[in-house]
Amino acid sequence: MTDEKIDFSALDPAQDPSRWERLIESVAQRALAGRARPNRLLLQLSTWARPALALAAGLAIAIWCAVLATGGRGTTTTETHTDPVVALATWAMNDAIPTTVDPVVVLGGSNGSK
Amino acid sequence: MVGVLQVAVDRRASAQCGVKMLDPERTAEMVVAAKHGDATAFTALVRAFLRPAYAIALSVLRRPADAEDVAQDALLVAFEKLDTCNEPRRFAGWLLTIARRRALNALGSRKVREAHAKGDGTEVVSSARWPDQVGLRERLLQALDQLSPLQCQVVLLCDLEGWTHAEVGTALGISELMSRQHLFNARRKLRGLLATEGSVEAQHDR
Repeated sequence: MTDEKIDFSALDPAQDPSRWERLIESVAQRALAGRARPNRLLLQLSTWARPALALAAGLAIAIWCAVLATGGRGTTTTETHTDPVVALATWAMNDAIPTTVDPVVVLGGSNGSK
Repeated sequence: MVGVLQVAVDRRASAQCGVKMLDPERTAEMVVAAKHGDATAFTALVRAFLRPAYAIALSVLRRPADAEDVAQDALLVAFEKLDTCNEPRRFAGWLLTIARRRALNALGSRKVREAHAKGDGTEVVSSARWPDQVGLRERLLQALDQLSPLQCQVVLLCDLEGWTHAEVGTALGISELMSRQHLFNARRKLRGLLATEGSVEAQHDR
């Protein structure tokens, strides 16, 4: 008769009910502890999120104010004079005609390989 | 002695454990509650699925102590990854897949360990040497060893856990008909093996 069950009770891990019950409790506890860990991390992150955001906003405002205070100039006069690329680009954009001396001053001692 | 080896008509086996698989709706409820950290739901899920996970691990490892460790491990991993279980109704199948994979990993590690032990000349301790695993238990394990992994899983889930074919089919991803077929073949094979062993043992006893 193959529709009758095979007796696997010898392999049944719950043969000792109290031991099995302890095992169930232990696994459930460990599983719960494992789940709680990431939650605590999330809680920490959410606690610090607002101060971190406020700090970032403050820094952004400070940097913005500093930029406004310097007049928003992209390049300084010194840079214009010393950086050949900037100087040449400025002349080209403004259709300015440099004097004969200007290219020499801008390029300085460089041989044009810069 | 033959009596010990007999393939018992055992309706006691499923009644004895008193644990029935949760139906899919109830399982889904428990999984959702567990996702929200409900301790009662965790316990209910462990109670319902630790034994099935053990049965699957046993079908791969064929050593009860190892299977118990893997079953616990599989449940812990499943709970850690619970948020990735997109279909709570199918928690059983999802968990048993985890259990099967972890059992296969454990089996691989065990084979490597045993190969190293042989290489070192260390004596490999057979499970048969442990006093708690001799007798009927050992014979059952040896007989189970002759079954295919799927036959072994089906017969353990049906006869050890008391699952229905519908439940087994859903959990293992096979049809109900296939589950019946595997169970029929597994039982026939086990009966043959255990009966042969029984008669050999009886002759030795005389």
